[in-house]
Amino acid sequence: MEIRKLDQMFEVLASRTKKRLVAAWAIDAHTIEAVAQAVNKGIIEGILVGDEARIKQVCTEHKIDPGLFKIVHCDNDLTAAAKAVDMINAGEGDFLMKGLLSTDRYMRAILNKEKGLMNPGAILSHVTVAEPKTYHKLLIFGDVAIIPLPDLNQKIAITNYLIRVAQLLGIENPKVGLQAASEQTLPKIPSCADAAIIAKMAERGQIKGAMIEGPLGMDLIIDSESAVIKGMKSEVCGDADCILFPNIEAGNAFYKTVVKLLKSDLCAIVMGARVPCVLTSRGDSERSKLYSIALAAMLA
Amino acid sequence: MKKLIELAEKAIASGKKTRVAVAAAEDANTIGAICRAAKDGFVMPILIGSEARIKALLEDHDLAPDAYQVVDISDPESATREAVRMVKEGSADVLMKGLVGTDKFLKQVLNKERGLLPPKAVMSYTCALELPRYHKLLLVSDTAVLPNPDLDQKIAMLNYSVKMAHTLGIKTPKVALITATEKVSPGMPNTIDYALISKMAERGQIKGCVVDGPLDVFLACDPASIEIKGVPTPIGGDADILIFPNLETANAFYKGLMLFAGGELAGLIQGTIKPVVVMSRSESENSKYYCIALACLMAEGQ
Repeated sequence: MEIRKLDQMFEVLASRTKKRLVAAWAIDAHTIEAVAQAVNKGIIEGILVGDEARIKQVCTEHKIDPGLFKIVHCDNDLTAAAKAVDMINAGEGDFLMKGLLSTDRYMRAILNKEKGLMNPGAILSHVTVAEPKTYHKLLIFGDVAIIPLPDLNQKIAITNYLIRVAQLLGIENPKVGLQAASEQTLPKIPSCADAAIIAKMAERGQIKGAMIEGPLGMDLIIDSESAVIKGMKSEVCGDADCILFPNIEAGNAFYKTVVKLLKSDLCAIVMGARVPCVLTSRGDSERSKLYSIALAAMLA
Repeated sequence: MKKLIELAEKAIASGKKTRVAVAAAEDANTIGAICRAAKDGFVMPILIGSEARIKALLEDHDLAPDAYQVVDISDPESATREAVRMVKEGSADVLMKGLVGTDKFLKQVLNKERGLLPPKAVMSYTCALELPRYHKLLLVSDTAVLPNPDLDQKIAMLNYSVKMAHTLGIKTPKVALITATEKVSPGMPNTIDYALISKMAERGQIKGCVVDGPLDVFLACDPASIEIKGVPTPIGGDADILIFPNLETANAFYKGLMLFAGGELAGLIQGTIKPVVVMSRSESENSKYYCIALACLMAEGQ
């Protein structure tokens, strides 16, 4: 089934075997509440790694039944992150979530060469799935958070992650727009040049499973009227499922515009590790956290 | 067009007489070719060199005294300089190299003040090949001038070749950007350039042609290969123009065809204000004659 609204993920997950979430240093109300909600929705099993006494105390304060989770005791954030990653590697969990520890420490546990979650040469990247109120479908885009200025190979990796997320959401042959300063192929502007190269690679079957067009201005990617005016005939124009941004500034500005200006729901995930990793921030809404857990469960 | 002789037929049919300045017009091949073109009526030769030696060579050709001019300058370098001057000042339409070293000849062509290359223009070489086993003439660039063209130079080569194709009457030539594979790979920088160029063409930044690349020669010129490899390309195995990534490849390609496949060629330098014919001394009289015809068509087309 093709997911066209984020809520639809819950239906799909309810009909599947529940995936096991492992939350690293899950000792704060934000994390515990989000996991509790997901467990209550019946979409996952929750494992909280952290100080058991504190977890139970937070549960009491927020009227959450600690029996919803399996609790694995750890004394501090570093050991909790390492333990959570170990559990994933041992097959005791299906995907990872960040608790109260810093993003830096969370990522270091994932990236740890011997004990982490990375295959050699893998590229870690951040994928967002948004439901913009003014668009007719979900928009999957990256990288708005991890790779500041992706080179060509990293862009190809990100493009493949976008395609994979789209496919796992049931979008069979997703349309990918490669965002750039202009739809012209201007060799001296890296966003234009890389987009042209990636589009050509896709044309040659070197990137599979999607219809890819670029370079395209943002208007052409999401607005078919602009495409008509500019005479751009690609089927991607105005109907994109995925957007590759050329750098973190462009992606991040778009992300924040979707959240703050369009007041639209979205969720996000870290791709490239052996399992999906949830990386929510405290600024995210309750809904967004729940969606992010659901998205990770969909991909796990 | 299928045969190079059609270049001459087209030049004759145009009814125009193009003024060709031949620098150091002192070898038999060159004189033979230019006399043939003069007799066919599409060229007014301006023969610059030692008058005595030119006259001696002309004896074999029975050319009417008013069908050519001679400018008596016996030093080859000075003769070249004079030929370049005539073209630059508009008293000749095509420059042709005779019995003078290519280095010395090009030095005059490239001279900043007196030469024929506009500032910042790219000078490049395109030749038209007649191949017994291809169904039409095949234009190839760059077989002679640019050793390692960069992106801008490749685009210039492409545009010059397209202009030549238009002059030959091919309305929308199919341009294949040639390398060893159709795959785009950062490890092969030419494939990256080609991806950019073909996307530029798709976006209308290169006009008057259909462009695809990277492609190999099979995919460019053999429809059966497209079917086997399953690479959809608008070139369809029917290329009019092959752009090569460097001089070695292009040069080996055309020489291989000359030697092993009975090919014939006509080529010229482009980017200059008027066409420049440069052929090696070993080239046949026939080839030189075709070159002259091609240069005349290009000059009149400008």
